[in-house]
Amino acid sequence: MQWTTKTFLTKTKRGNVLKIVREHYLRDDLLCGSAVCNICPHKDDEIVLDNKPESICKLFDFEHYLVLDTNVVLHQIDVLEENALKNIIILQTVLEEVKHQNTAIFQRLLEIVGNKNRKFYSFVNEHHKDTYVERNPHEKQNDRNDRAIRRAASWYASHLLLSKSDFDGKIPQIILLTDDENNRKIAQKEGIVCCTVKEYVENITGFAGLVDKLSKNVIPETCSKDALYPAHLTPSQIHSGIRGGKLYQGTFHASRDNFLEGTAVVSSFDKPILLQGHSGINRAIDGDIVAIEILPKEEWRKPSDIVLEDKADDPGDTLEEEALLNTKVDSEDEITPTGKVVGIIRRKWRQYCGILLPSKFPGATRHLFTPAEKRIPRVRIETRQSDILISQRILVALDSWPRNSRYPLGHFVRSLGPIGDKDAENEVILLEHDVPHARFSEAVLACLPPDDFKIPEEEIKKRVDLRSICICSVDPPGCTDIDDALHARPLPGLSPDGLKTYEVGVHIADVTYFVRPNTALDKEAAARSTTVYLVDRRIDMVPGLLSSNLCSLRGGEERLAFSCVWVVDENANVLSTKFHKSVIKSSSAMTYEEAQIAIDDSTRNDEIASSLRTLNSLAKKLKQKRLDNGALLLASPEIRFQVDSETHDPIEVQAKKIMDTNSMVEEFMLLANVSVAERVATDYPRCALLRRHPSPQPHSFDTFLKAARQQGFELDVSTNKSFSKSLNEAVIPDRPFFNTLLRIMATRCMQQAVYFPSGSRTQEEFYHYGLACPIYTHFTSPIRRYADVIVHRLLAASIGADVSHASLLDTKAADALCDNLNYRHRQAQYAGRASVALNTHILFKNREEIESAVVLAVKRNALQVLIPKYGLEGPIYLPSDKFRYNEEEHVQICGDVILRTFDELTVRLTLDSSNLQHRKLVFQLVKPSIPGVSYIADEQVEKMEIEEIDKKENEKKRKESTGGKNKKKKSKK
Amino acid sequence: MTGHVSIRLASERVNHCVPCPNELPRFYTPGEVITGMQDFMRGHGTYAEDDSLKSSVAGVMQKVNKLICVRPLKSRYVGEIGDVIVGRVLEVQQKRWKVETNSRLDSILQLSSVNLPGGELRRRSAEDEQMMRKHLQEGDLISAEVQSVFSDGSLSLHTRSLKYGKLSQGVLVKVFPSLIKRRKNHFHNLPCGVSIIIGNNGYIWISPHKQDIILEDNHDEIENYDLQAVKRSDREIIARVKNCISALVASKMMLDDTSIMFAFEQSLKYDNVKELLDPEAMLDIAFLTQHMLNDITED
Amino acid sequence: MPGPDLLSSQGLRLDGRRPNELRRIRCKLGVFTQPDGSAYLEQGNTKVLAAVYGPHQASKSKSSSEGVVVNCQYSMATFSTGERKNRPRGDRKSQEMSMHLRQALTAAIKTEMYPRSQIDIYVEVLQADGGAYCASVNASTLALIDAGIPLKAYVCSCSASMAYKDGVPEPLLDVGHVEEAAGGVTLTVASLPSTGSIALLELSHRLHSDYFETVLSRAMQGCRDIEIILDKAVREHLAEGWTKQDVITI
Repeated sequence: MQWTTKTFLTKTKRGNVLKIVREHYLRDDLLCGSAVCNICPHKDDEIVLDNKPESICKLFDFEHYLVLDTNVVLHQIDVLEENALKNIIILQTVLEEVKHQNTAIFQRLLEIVGNKNRKFYSFVNEHHKDTYVERNPHEKQNDRNDRAIRRAASWYASHLLLSKSDFDGKIPQIILLTDDENNRKIAQKEGIVCCTVKEYVENITGFAGLVDKLSKNVIPETCSKDALYPAHLTPSQIHSGIRGGKLYQGTFHASRDNFLEGTAVVSSFDKPILLQGHSGINRAIDGDIVAIEILPKEEWRKPSDIVLEDKADDPGDTLEEEALLNTKVDSEDEITPTGKVVGIIRRKWRQYCGILLPSKFPGATRHLFTPAEKRIPRVRIETRQSDILISQRILVALDSWPRNSRYPLGHFVRSLGPIGDKDAENEVILLEHDVPHARFSEAVLACLPPDDFKIPEEEIKKRVDLRSICICSVDPPGCTDIDDALHARPLPGLSPDGLKTYEVGVHIADVTYFVRPNTALDKEAAARSTTVYLVDRRIDMVPGLLSSNLCSLRGGEERLAFSCVWVVDENANVLSTKFHKSVIKSSSAMTYEEAQIAIDDSTRNDEIASSLRTLNSLAKKLKQKRLDNGALLLASPEIRFQVDSETHDPIEVQAKKIMDTNSMVEEFMLLANVSVAERVATDYPRCALLRRHPSPQPHSFDTFLKAARQQGFELDVSTNKSFSKSLNEAVIPDRPFFNTLLRIMATRCMQQAVYFPSGSRTQEEFYHYGLACPIYTHFTSPIRRYADVIVHRLLAASIGADVSHASLLDTKAADALCDNLNYRHRQAQYAGRASVALNTHILFKNREEIESAVVLAVKRNALQVLIPKYGLEGPIYLPSDKFRYNEEEHVQICGDVILRTFDELTVRLTLDSSNLQHRKLVFQLVKPSIPGVSYIADEQVEKMEIEEIDKKENEKKRKESTGGKNKKKKSKK
Repeated sequence: MTGHVSIRLASERVNHCVPCPNELPRFYTPGEVITGMQDFMRGHGTYAEDDSLKSSVAGVMQKVNKLICVRPLKSRYVGEIGDVIVGRVLEVQQKRWKVETNSRLDSILQLSSVNLPGGELRRRSAEDEQMMRKHLQEGDLISAEVQSVFSDGSLSLHTRSLKYGKLSQGVLVKVFPSLIKRRKNHFHNLPCGVSIIIGNNGYIWISPHKQDIILEDNHDEIENYDLQAVKRSDREIIARVKNCISALVASKMMLDDTSIMFAFEQSLKYDNVKELLDPEAMLDIAFLTQHMLNDITED
Repeated sequence: MPGPDLLSSQGLRLDGRRPNELRRIRCKLGVFTQPDGSAYLEQGNTKVLAAVYGPHQASKSKSSSEGVVVNCQYSMATFSTGERKNRPRGDRKSQEMSMHLRQALTAAIKTEMYPRSQIDIYVEVLQADGGAYCASVNASTLALIDAGIPLKAYVCSCSASMAYKDGVPEPLLDVGHVEEAAGGVTLTVASLPSTGSIALLELSHRLHSDYFETVLSRAMQGCRDIEIILDKAVREHLAEGWTKQDVITI
């Protein structure tokens, strides 16, 4: 064993003053990683740094390696990510500091270090016997780390010098890059060549655009000159403030509508803390963890309900008056605790998508950037490529927010594509929702079977052969990732009760045969967690070969499946359940419509049709049973776009049609999921992956119940059974949509269903409220959900068809997995919705529609309406001078017109493109017509309309701009 | 009462190692194979496993013809017939005493193996049994000789000689039995004025000189003598001898009258007895003693 | 399971060891004169004292004619952990540890040699920094050897745990407190390395059977490495002690 047996004790102090003594081994077997060195016993693959690292910087005309200081990595990671700087030594001291301060940057740094072409060598200076430095008494940790970095830099220089003779004295030198002035001074004194990043990068030749990526990092609190914002407290002040109960810690949420307002949730207050104005928010950005001081009670306010947007043009570094905000407080109970941000505990910055604001001065390098997310303030960036970027969607990273700058400082990261381009817009959606959508890496693709994969004979022998059975799949039209298929056939015997019996099978694509645990493919799938469906694009969880070919249960092809087979009697009581892996050959892959026709067409008596009929009748009984148990039939407006086959632009939109066959498939999938859930929960009491739907909070129904009461219905929400019953009874005969509407609204009152490992909850908490079943999981869509993959593995191990593996049974891993699944699932939903919104906007680009709508909710200054035909939702703003809002009843009154929830209206839909970033659909009231508010449907009249002059102008502009864009597009083509 | 206590850091501890001309023998450690099984008999500190003879203790191998033993550096006292021991009475039982002798089982002193007043060959009566505690009671120290060894390894003692019997005034020093050199005589009247019994079991008894030969008959005189106060000068000498033994033990040197005497002589350069407790002084004494011993062997 | 990063990307552990390296072990035999055998052992920052008394006459109630009775007592000093804590002797944890110690040591001691006798082994943990049990076993072995008590072989104990490097499982040898506290499973094994037999095996958490073999073999390797270190210490101790003795005394 070849370590130096020196032990160093590192002492640290914690809150309770604990002396912690840790061992620290110093080694003599650590390599320097340079090709020049002939002292360290390198193996060939351990050499990272070139022997002749060419200098690309004009300042230094000799060969050199770069040593980076921590602040360089933390702030200039975007520069490092560019494929420009090479031959860089990353010290462990730096790695650890970065890891401690910002895990996201740490991951990115690791990525760079892992890339062999970049020639980044990570040197373990902390454990090298010659470069370790002990912290002196009273020395600050930071100073020690700086010292360690300097020590390592000078060690490298002298170490390489030892090999001088072999290279005719031409050995690379060491340059220390640091932005810390103090560190630079001392380093220079010690004879280390050093330089700031700015100087270095600005003198690099051959990499245009690299300068743009320089972070404009300024230490925020040092700029007290011309300060616009109050200073933040120091971390220790914050710490003692929180401990002393004077300050509170919370996550800052900026308001969507008012850029000068935000809230923070603090655990010791019931209501979120209101933060208003520039000084109240004090440079906090949505998501940051902040320290808050609560203002005295007299200064408490209520949240303003006005919409306030930042000025369109660049105001420079000044703050405007904030008089607008000081709304009067009407009643005591409306005020919320109000506070101000006094410090930032942790920034939660990420990279933001958005566009550049056109600059007033042509050729300027300083620009304002507007993020797509409205909660994020504008960002000041510097770029010399503004003429190109002005028409692009770009990605920008935040660097700092000094006191004397109205906006945070950031830098350009990369361009996503032209504004309005669908790919660019999709990219924005994916980035903003944190959807991993890069192409599958080589490592992942290497895990795939060959394209001409045939099921091996021995695999067939291991499985139950169901190829002779008539199995079919029923899916929406155009579906290429078919993950479930069904069959049913009568059995000869009778049940103990003398009823006819059937064998019913659900066959799920056997994805786990291809996706083996802990492979690159598996990890990628786990990271993605779910397939994301955008309107015109699908971001697969597993590569296409699997998702739409080998795993997809296509008609007429032999496929591997995981089957769940029941024996049921004619009343759909399950008599027995068994699970096995199988080989199937689907007779037909049908759409819902085709299946429906097959069932309805009484002339068809083939095997498929009779099987479908059996399934259909059993499904109806299953459904009835489920409903009797208290399952809720919920609804959400879902729409389908008909997409132009060439441009992929949506041409028409319609609400999804629901047929019997939809619910037939659904029933059996539910049954399979429940059966599997019972099985895995019994076999794995601690680590089975289940799905629960918590019962809703009673008070979340309040508004909903009030609205229903206005329509004359008393709904009982005490249990899901009673709720279901009262929902069923709440029908208005001449308004067929009313019941659906009720259900849509009921859905919104409920909590989200979530994945969880069985060990983390008690048995009672497994309950799925919506489905009214005591236990539930996801088993039936392994192609597009990773949760199902895990459940497949659990079940396979449970029935002995496959071996279990360690991480499958690890409860901690299961917790982390569920968190990720839930997060990705949610983000995928949001991304899907955003995509629908995007496409709706494209659809309405050049048209307007008059449609009937219903009121979903009545707000202080608007109505939230839903257009059933499109499933679209949006606000109709009501001018406060005409309408009076009754808070008790939640109604808007204007003269004799009373607008209530559930009222039916007629609205006009147009697209407002005046803001490129936030194009939105404009809903205008048509009926009931209220003079001065309602839109007059006649185009002739429109021209004479006096009040709408402004609007008209806007519209003209819009038409021009959109027209212009179309031309552009055409010319491009 | 005040006194100086010196506590020193572990790093400043004195290494008591004294150089010695003896060449290092081959050591065996537990589990180590000594030889293939053929033709050898296994003795103490060895065991047979898998056709080979292995050591069960850490020490040196000793071979007597075909018998192989491994002797550990130190262990509990293993008694042999004829050994002189010093022991402490633990228990008075029916017709016998239990004696603690630093061996792994308690030793036994039969009522029949002690000299009772009134002649050696007197029959032991029931009365004597009742008087046993008068003779030796719990906590008494005795010197004795090993009469026989029982099958389970425990020792049977006897005190049927005038030199054995109850010990009254003196100091007991416990050392590891392996440090005691086997000699013909273990009773010594050291010229410095103390008597010493070097028990083979590692217990060493230091007492003031008994005034020449004590006659058998005037028993009372002995009793009286035992209760007389010991002079301070004698007590100092006893303490000095005791400290000398400690010094030799600390350096793991063999103990017999010669080495103890040499050590005593060397210790005289330290006026104060308590100075001998100083680790440096102890090492010094051990070192000088070793030197003297080497001189003798060379002669 | 890829939880805490116990292995850096350079393949070093938090304290700078490689996965297969033991902590520094320092030990000394015969630290006391009063007991029959004693030893002090440091395994990294875990520091343990062991004292052995006996074999001596067993008390009547415990006495067994089959072999020697081994009696262990494990205790931790109040100052042994970061937080000062009064630890009454015989609390549940020490009782359990004492039992496990007894199990491991009885496997090595040639108990049949001494019927009706008893061996007392007292172990005091002066500083606990992970792997106190392992250090206790190793120290006790040395103390037993010092006392000249016949053993079948050295009994050594070592722990091992699991970490992941680039997603590949890599067992860690001789787990320190930091690594122990970071979660994950710790496998403790006490074995007689020269015979390859296992005297005690303990798992702190559930470990998947896929990994068991690799972790166990790493721990066994650790035991073998420890045996070499202990053997060296014993030989040094013998060399030191033997010089003053006559070689032949028969």
